[in-house]
Amino acid sequence: MTWSGKLAAGLGLAGLIVLFGLLGPLLTGDPATIRDIGLTPPGDGHLLGTTITGQDVLAQLTHATRGSLWIGVLVGVMATVLSGVFGIVGAYAGGVVDEAFSLFSNVMLVIPGLPLVIVVAGFVPADQRGTWTISLVLAITGWAAAARVLRAQTLSLRNRDYVAAARVSGEKTWRVICMEILPNLLPILASQFVFAVVLAILSEAGLSFLGLGAADSSTLGTMLYYAQNGFALQREAWWWFVPPGLIIALFGGALALVNFSIDEIINPALRDRVRRRRDVVATTPVAAPVDEDVVLTVSDLNVVYQGATPVHAVKNVSLTLRRGEILGLAGESGCGKTTLAYAINRLHRPPAEVTSGSVVLDGVDVLALGPEELRAFRWVRLSMVFQGAMNSLNPVTPIRAQLQDVLRTHRPSMSTSDREARCAEVLRLVGVDPARLGSYPHELSGGMRQRVMIAMALLLEPQVMIMDEPTTALDVLVQREILNEIKRLRDELRFAVVFITHDLPLLLELSDRIAVMRGGEVVEYATAEEMYLRPQHPYTRQLLASFPSLTGERGALIR
Amino acid sequence: MTTLEVRDLTRTFHRHRAVDGVSFTLTAGRTVALVGESGSGKSTIARMIARLIRPTSGEITLTGQGGEPVARRAYRDHVQMIFQDPFASLNPFHTVEHHLARPLLLHGRSRAEVPHLLERVSLTPDLAGRRPHELSGGQRQRVAIARALAPGAKVIIADEPVSMLDVSIRLGVLKLLDRLQREEDLAVLYITHDLATARHFSDEVLVMHRGRIVERGPGDDVLLRPQDPYTRQLAAAAPDPEARFRQAFRQGGQP
Amino acid sequence: MGYHLRKVAFYLVALWAAVTLNFVIPRLLPGNPVDILMAKLQQRGGSVDPAARQAYETLLGTGGRDSFAQEYLAYLGNLLRGDLGVSVSAFPAKVTDVIGDSLPWTIVLVGLATLISFVLGVGLGALVGWKRGTWLDSLVPATTMLSAVPYFWLALILVALLSSGLGWFPLNGGYDVVLDPGWSPEFLGSALYHGTLPALTIVLSSVGGWLLGMRNMMVSAMSEDYVLTARAKGLTGSRVMVRYAARNAVLPSVAGFAISLGFVVSGSIVTEQVFSYPGIGSKLLQAVQNNDYALMQGIFLVITIAVLGANLVVDLLYGLIDARTRDRSTVS
Repeated sequence: MTWSGKLAAGLGLAGLIVLFGLLGPLLTGDPATIRDIGLTPPGDGHLLGTTITGQDVLAQLTHATRGSLWIGVLVGVMATVLSGVFGIVGAYAGGVVDEAFSLFSNVMLVIPGLPLVIVVAGFVPADQRGTWTISLVLAITGWAAAARVLRAQTLSLRNRDYVAAARVSGEKTWRVICMEILPNLLPILASQFVFAVVLAILSEAGLSFLGLGAADSSTLGTMLYYAQNGFALQREAWWWFVPPGLIIALFGGALALVNFSIDEIINPALRDRVRRRRDVVATTPVAAPVDEDVVLTVSDLNVVYQGATPVHAVKNVSLTLRRGEILGLAGESGCGKTTLAYAINRLHRPPAEVTSGSVVLDGVDVLALGPEELRAFRWVRLSMVFQGAMNSLNPVTPIRAQLQDVLRTHRPSMSTSDREARCAEVLRLVGVDPARLGSYPHELSGGMRQRVMIAMALLLEPQVMIMDEPTTALDVLVQREILNEIKRLRDELRFAVVFITHDLPLLLELSDRIAVMRGGEVVEYATAEEMYLRPQHPYTRQLLASFPSLTGERGALIR
Repeated sequence: MTTLEVRDLTRTFHRHRAVDGVSFTLTAGRTVALVGESGSGKSTIARMIARLIRPTSGEITLTGQGGEPVARRAYRDHVQMIFQDPFASLNPFHTVEHHLARPLLLHGRSRAEVPHLLERVSLTPDLAGRRPHELSGGQRQRVAIARALAPGAKVIIADEPVSMLDVSIRLGVLKLLDRLQREEDLAVLYITHDLATARHFSDEVLVMHRGRIVERGPGDDVLLRPQDPYTRQLAAAAPDPEARFRQAFRQGGQP
Repeated sequence: MGYHLRKVAFYLVALWAAVTLNFVIPRLLPGNPVDILMAKLQQRGGSVDPAARQAYETLLGTGGRDSFAQEYLAYLGNLLRGDLGVSVSAFPAKVTDVIGDSLPWTIVLVGLATLISFVLGVGLGALVGWKRGTWLDSLVPATTMLSAVPYFWLALILVALLSSGLGWFPLNGGYDVVLDPGWSPEFLGSALYHGTLPALTIVLSSVGGWLLGMRNMMVSAMSEDYVLTARAKGLTGSRVMVRYAARNAVLPSVAGFAISLGFVVSGSIVTEQVFSYPGIGSKLLQAVQNNDYALMQGIFLVITIAVLGANLVVDLLYGLIDARTRDRSTVS
């Protein structure tokens, strides 16, 4: 089901129950009327049968639903307001206020709610235990978890540039909170409200069932209390006991559906995926490479993002890579360069799909490999270095485990000491002290992390290394060091590189050949020298002109 | 002439000096480029001038057109900021109209000026009804520039205004800023890590390293003939295809 | 301040807050608990000497005779000596003895049920997230529906179906009453047999929360670059799932343990009542029904301390499984 489907189903079901509670009591007569037809099974006259004293179960159910919903809404509103005050205001104010509010919320969170409610209810004499008292107590014990969520979200929103921009333009604090932050918190507030309502209805049912509920109300919980004390189940009067619980469960389930859809609105990654169609495309038979030196041949590769309107992300791309060569892949965001890189290693995920073409790496038809062959092929023949090295390394395990994982999987016969030695060796190759093996990623600088990634890519001495914007997130000086390192290693170890970036001048300096991509197509494919001296395609010229030269004539560019 | 003077500005975070005794002056009709790597303190300076964070010590003084000091309350009529990421600096919940009308109203102007503002940044007035996600990166950054102009500001702090944009539209946005600076006699602080655009789009370049200004002067002096070892390193690290093909370039002629 | 020290300090503050709450509640709410207790005590033939009255007043308030500060100090003093007063409903037993008898039952029941529920929910959640787009997806709405069912209602339906209907489990109680409580195999077997259905209720009702949370985090983790890198490295599917995706996805579940534990403890009180289980939850309700205020407060305090203790242990474990927390300087 899509998120809108879930929302519709959830709201529809919840709406029906609300209508049942609102309109039902008007149609079903007095729930308290006692008749001498106790425990009549459902049938004519009494659609849901009668209780032990002959009261109509349906009439009781409508009134009880109304009572439970009322308490749910009451508590929901109060708890949401409390969590908003402590979560949003605290986080926005920051400093001591935030520390105090957050400490208070966390303390309230770890003190178990229901025992506290029971104790409070136990001290209040039954005749003073009204709906408002119970609602207030439930709200006071139930807001803390939501406050914590709202605080975290507000802290992240507070640091957004648009909040800073509103402050710079002179907006008052209350207006920044109400107009800039609050609207973006709406989905979370809605989801916390829904959660508070469900929790309140459940807690109230529990309290009433224990005989500690509000004295002046009839809710689904009190109905269950009477059913239990009338031994409904022992007398097999399921029509008395089952419906109230079912209404609670259905209402909770409906609101859970609503929350699912809110989750999916907030986090699109959670939405249902198109199911995987076929995994491997039929490839054209491969002719033996003419040139002995060629390690990677991509021919007529097409990648399509399937969907309502399929997007042709890579169109008829053909490339060849020779031993020890650096091939530059240049283009702007959305041009298909990353999709192409992933497709070469078949890392693309649905809805992306290779629709035709072939990838041959040193005689291996990559697109024809079975799942296990593909797994064994990866990293051994072709390794990758991704853009954000912070995100490419697993944050919760040390570097050693992540390097050794590769050897453990691809060289199972290697001894422990050999593994350790090899890991230290590759770190030394990229200029990182092997003592760093025990470090966690967050303990390393950005440049150091990217070096570790390159070391990892070298572990199995692959023929080809794909580097996707490996230096974009780095500062100029670190970028220069990493580029020099890549050139040196390539000269020493003779692997070939596909280097992807938007920085055309960098490629002109670094690569042997360059392919310029736009709209999924390679618009120009030439040696770096050719491209620098005689760019053919207008887009290549436009890209070149976008990078003013540091040393070129000043002012020629603009004035 | 509107002038913003920064004197001995210092900001410490947890005993770390992010900005350490920085002084410079922004004057109407001039662009000053502040160059440095991430963590050098350049964004902290921007945020202090925009009054988003307080300096630990030092002064920021603003004098108006006639040389009179500007009152604290009126500061934001004169000084505005353009943020790095146009995807983050516009609220996804609000329309372009809202983003421009609010600063207009806050500074005693009329909502009716929105179409004119959009035209000043070379956008068509029909964009006013759109929300940020319906705009391209370049369009968003132009809206952000229009927002900075809305209060009638004479001092514009541009914190890496093009580094999040696609390369082919960067120059367009920088040219727009440059045109506005000249036509409207603005004082611009252009913060960037890109030495080449700093040189081409500024009258003065300040190089920052670890919170301090290590070198300053006209762009050609600082970047073509750097004196400070750090500036020299920076200038040498930028990709330079020319160096590789200089030989071929001389023989081959026009690129 | 180090991570561990900060955590311990936080729980000390929380403990102080709970103790103070316990002190304040009877003094702020309407009614005159001391008089009610004295009347009850008299009915049971207990002594009505001034000493007994004074003991209750220390606990519940003197009605304005002593200053708030004096009462508070006296109350704290009693707590430090481990004196929680005398129970009226189990007169002349001390509150601490009543709690001591029932606490182990609850700790074993709730502890085991929570552990099973956590392991099951997190395990299934990881699998459901990893195998997205298969039949496993239907586990999410199914278990979520179960969490929306009131604990006691589910418990009673289970009793009606499995105990009364099929006779598979005993109707109620914590052990076969013909046996003497002790470490004999018969007794342990009987306790296990009696505890199965209550534990099943708790597991069924709480597993959905873990499952959903883990599944959502798993889906998020799978779009992270480190998982992509792990796949590119040619690691086996199970290794990528466990070492890379699940290892990271489980962190929020552990961090959110406090919230979930609160729900489980609340639910188990009601469950114990349904099964007449000899645990602390049933005792709490007996205390409420008999206006046994001293026992009520004592039990609340003990439940809170147990929950705080469990949370502290989990938080300290969290520091072990996520190295980053140890280096961070944010507060709790």
